[in-house]
Amino acid sequence: MNWRHFIILLQKEFLLEFRQRYAISGIVLYVFSMIFVVYIASAKADISPKIWNVLFWLVVLFASINAVVKSFVQESGARQLYYYQLAEPVMLLLSKIVYNTLLLMVLSCLSFVTYSVVAGNPVKDAGLFWLTLLLGSLGFSIAFTFISSIAAKANNSATLMAILSFPVILPILLTLTNLSKFALGLMPPLATYDRDIINLLAIDGILVTLTFVLFPFIWKD
Amino acid sequence: MWWKTLSVVLVLYALSIGLLIPLKPGVVRVSPETAATGQALSLQVYGYNSFFSKSEPGQIRVWLEYDSSRATAAQTIKVLNDTTLEASFQLPPYLPKGEKSTLLTAIVDHPADGVSLLPNAIKLIQDTAFLKSGATVSSMVSDSAWTLQPIDNLHVIKDFSFPYRNVIYESIRNTYYHVPMWFVLMFLFIASVWYSIRYLGKPDPDFDRKAAGYAEAGLLFGFLGLFTGMVWANYAWGKPWSNDIKQLMTAVALLIYLAYFILRRSFDEPEKGARLAAVYNIFAFASLIPLLYIVPRMFASLHPGATGNPAFGSEDLDNTMRAVFYPSILGWTLLGFWIASLRIRYQRLHDRSHGLD
Repeated sequence: MNWRHFIILLQKEFLLEFRQRYAISGIVLYVFSMIFVVYIASAKADISPKIWNVLFWLVVLFASINAVVKSFVQESGARQLYYYQLAEPVMLLLSKIVYNTLLLMVLSCLSFVTYSVVAGNPVKDAGLFWLTLLLGSLGFSIAFTFISSIAAKANNSATLMAILSFPVILPILLTLTNLSKFALGLMPPLATYDRDIINLLAIDGILVTLTFVLFPFIWKD
Repeated sequence: MWWKTLSVVLVLYALSIGLLIPLKPGVVRVSPETAATGQALSLQVYGYNSFFSKSEPGQIRVWLEYDSSRATAAQTIKVLNDTTLEASFQLPPYLPKGEKSTLLTAIVDHPADGVSLLPNAIKLIQDTAFLKSGATVSSMVSDSAWTLQPIDNLHVIKDFSFPYRNVIYESIRNTYYHVPMWFVLMFLFIASVWYSIRYLGKPDPDFDRKAAGYAEAGLLFGFLGLFTGMVWANYAWGKPWSNDIKQLMTAVALLIYLAYFILRRSFDEPEKGARLAAVYNIFAFASLIPLLYIVPRMFASLHPGATGNPAFGSEDLDNTMRAVFYPSILGWTLLGFWIASLRIRYQRLHDRSHGLD
């Protein structure tokens, strides 16, 4: 474990993103367009908190998958090989997961702000909702980064990314919508959300462990 | 070789015994379904698989039970045919605890069929029309009318037959075909992930073929489990697909494995495909655990044992059913591994003839 490598690789991710500003702008635009499409397609009807919740997480899900898919696809095989020579592959993965978590946090906050301007803000427990957003970004980032490292090796990576990750992401998504139902005050008064948070952290824990055990078998060609 | 024979014997045993053994006698319904206290009630009792005319008319007894120590017995009983009784009651004037109404369990007992019962068979309503002005029901209640005719000397028949359950009736037999499918699926997926792990340790094409073969057979049993479940759901819940949480999660679990097969074939080099598919298989198996064992606990389900326990409740089985259920699981499991081994051998020959091995 060489943490200096990790810091440098993380800096590299930020630098790369800064140099290719059009890519991150594209994702931001994607979020804006999607929110407007979702709102207009629901015939500008009064969106009940229940529907608000579902649509919001769909927007975050699709924004996340599009933001993360490029993390392994954008860099050519030769350049990746170069990285693997210089640094521990696991550190490369860790830097990408951390970077994607930060990116998704920014994106989901942005989605939330835009979405609440357009469709209203029914959130009752703001603290819990922000916590849900953070936990969601973490879970999405781990699962999508790992799947994108597999999908990047194949010829049809965009399709594979979707079909490989949707079933895997479902337990996380269900727990997140459940948690945000608490934040929206849609749950019965005596129900508690401790178990949902524990479940979410447990799933994240399983995924992160597996990711680090399995990644060495992915990058070697 | 012996285990293949055993699998055929056990599956045939489960199919023949599971479909041929009759259900125990039961009570389907009574008519009328509501009555008032103090009334002289003539109650029609409809039996299932019952042989009322085999017992002497005087030996048949019928009760309406309030709780374990309170009941009212029928005074005269007329057998109309093997599955219909007419029982006449003189109902007590008050309910034992002064309630406005209550649900009573109907109990029938006679030597030929033994005891059978129907919970919540009839709604008994407190009749207040006869009360003198100013009197309240609670001041008039006396418990004694309910304890005069205790339920005793019940006939218990010990024979090899399956329990009678309301709502599901004969479909209880599906326990031997629907539930084992999930056991087999789990065993096959465990075998598949085991060979994926071994492949990552040592890239032998045979491990990859085994991982794929067991996953294919597991997928087959997943579809069979889903299908047998839909047949059962159509009968017990009224429609084949009710978006029950377990139905949904199973469908998603099958999607994961379908994606696994797409991933395997997305690479030009077989070695690379095998390696990445092995990685995904391990990852997919790990996400199967929350799908099948964590998420279903978070939502209400129509399945039995739904609250807090996604597994099949052991109290749902009696000894007669266990004698068919456990052999059935073993038989289907061996059959599943047999199917997988044929698939693996076919693939090995196919690879050799194409020069891939």
